[in-house]
This record gives sequence, structure tokens and C-alpha cells, in this order.
Amino acid sequence: MSMPTAQRPKPLHLVLAFGSGVLLTFAVFINAEAGRYGGALFSSWLAHGTGTIAAILFLAVLWRHQRVEAAASEARIGKAPLWAYLGGIVGAATVMLTSTSVNTPLALAGTLALGLAGQVLLSLAADFWGLLGLPKRRLDLRDAGAVILIVAGSLLIILFGLNAA
Amino acid sequence: MIVPIIFAFTAGLLVILSRQVNGRLSLSTSPLISSFWNHIVGFIFLSLVGLVIGGLIPPNIGEIPWWVFFGGPIGVIFVAAGSWLITRIGAINSTLLVISGQMVSGVLFDWARGIPVTLWASALGIVLIIAGMALTQRKR
Repeated sequence: MSMPTAQRPKPLHLVLAFGSGVLLTFAVFINAEAGRYGGALFSSWLAHGTGTIAAILFLAVLWRHQRVEAAASEARIGKAPLWAYLGGIVGAATVMLTSTSVNTPLALAGTLALGLAGQVLLSLAADFWGLLGLPKRRLDLRDAGAVILIVAGSLLIILFGLNAA
Repeated sequence: MIVPIIFAFTAGLLVILSRQVNGRLSLSTSPLISSFWNHIVGFIFLSLVGLVIGGLIPPNIGEIPWWVFFGGPIGVIFVAAGSWLITRIGAINSTLLVISGQMVSGVLFDWARGIPVTLWASALGIVLIIAGMALTQRKR
């Protein structure tokens, strides 16, 4: 079994990652609208249900290619451990935590800022120790600089730019 | 106040934990197959929670606009992209670049909808983020 080694992002990675962040803005906006109708639990349930249907449709269209890719992946890496199938529970629990903290004095801005801290700290730890069977990455001064600049910029936007408080 | 602080911080940890777990599954399958499992397992779990708590489906479900049903499909692409990214560029680079996209598009989206944004803070924030994104790129 040979795990891939992580590399420094190329422009393609940057564009795709940035683009998925843009998608997240729209998903959060849409799911908040669902929450206005039925609350946070309903919103997350609906997103997972419609997402399941969409994933089945995507897989049906791409099945030939997906089956080849999955077989090659399993031959290279081996079968996934059972816990790797439980990401959906972790994601569902996330919604419960944020929808609780948003309705406290923390509000949206505080929830986002603290969530940002949690994301960055666990990401650094995950790269440093190579957690959960993913590649280990050496962290250097450039990584530190990127973390400081992007976290500072995000906190400026969350706490002072968006009037979310 | 300590409980909501722990909740919000833990939510951030879980965002990364789920990207890690889905990323690991994608290594043995594919990002799209991993995203499918993420959604169906989450759906079953939330259905069970809904059964226990009750009142999951609101009575006004018929009045929900059609585009609200597209949050899930967008999420499928987002989760698949996250698995693809974290197995290639690692956790911190994925996190930083996704957050960058979310922050910059969030400012522009609010601004486009006519929601007031504080210009100096948003503009300075975007400049810092773009500088940080440039730093993540490999040396040439």
C-alpha cells in the first residue's frame, strides 16, 4: 500500500479549492433558507437527502469511469477501513453544534471565527502528524505566513466587514 | 458562555475531521463515491435523529422555493472536491484555500445583494487573503 505524498498547491489546485469555497457560500445561503422553513435539523436532513439523490444521478452518468477509478484505487491502497464511511455522521453533528451556537450571544460572527480557529488548528495538526491515513506534510515558514495572512484577512471580514455580529 | 464557545470551536474541528475521513475513503474509492457515502450515511443518521425528536418535516414544505432543493447537490460537489484536494495538497492548504474562496465570495455576494458591507475591513481582508493564497503556491 502506497499513500500519495502531499504537494504544494499548483494553480489548478488553487482554482478548484477557491471555487469550492465559492460553492460553499451558495450552499450555506441556500441551506439557511431551508432552515427558515423548518429549522437547522430539517435543513441538514434536506441537504443530505437531495445530495444523496444528486450523488446517485452523478454516479449513474459517470459509472463506467467511476468503477474503473474505484477498482484502481482499491488495488493501490487497499480497502477503506469501516470508520472511513462515517464522515456523514461527523458532518451531521457539525450542523447541530453550529446551529446551537449561532443562537447564543456568539451569533454568526463568533461561531464563524471560532470555527475558523478549529479548522486551522486541526488542519495543522493533521498535516504535521499525518492523521487518519492521509499524507504527512512538513510545515515551513511559507505555510506559517499563509496561515497568518489568510486567518487575519478572514477575521477582518467576519468581525468587521460583513456586519454579521 | 463557555458551552457555545466549545460548540463553535468543535464544529470547526469536525469540518476538518469529516474532510479527513471522506478523503481517506476517496483514496480507496473515488471522491464522488466517497461523497455519496457521506451524504447517505448523514441522511440516515439525521432521519433517525428526526424520528427521535419528531417534527422533522415542516408543514409548510410545499411553499419552499425550488432552488432550496439545490443546496444538497452543491454539497455533493463540495464534499467530492474536498476529498480530491486534501489527498493532494494536504489539510492546511485545502482549508486555507477553501476559506479564502468562501470569504471573498461571501463579501461579493452580500455586496451584490445590497447588504451593507464595511468597505475598509472587507477590502483589506481580501488583500490579505490574496497575499496568503500567493504564498501557498509552489516556488518557481
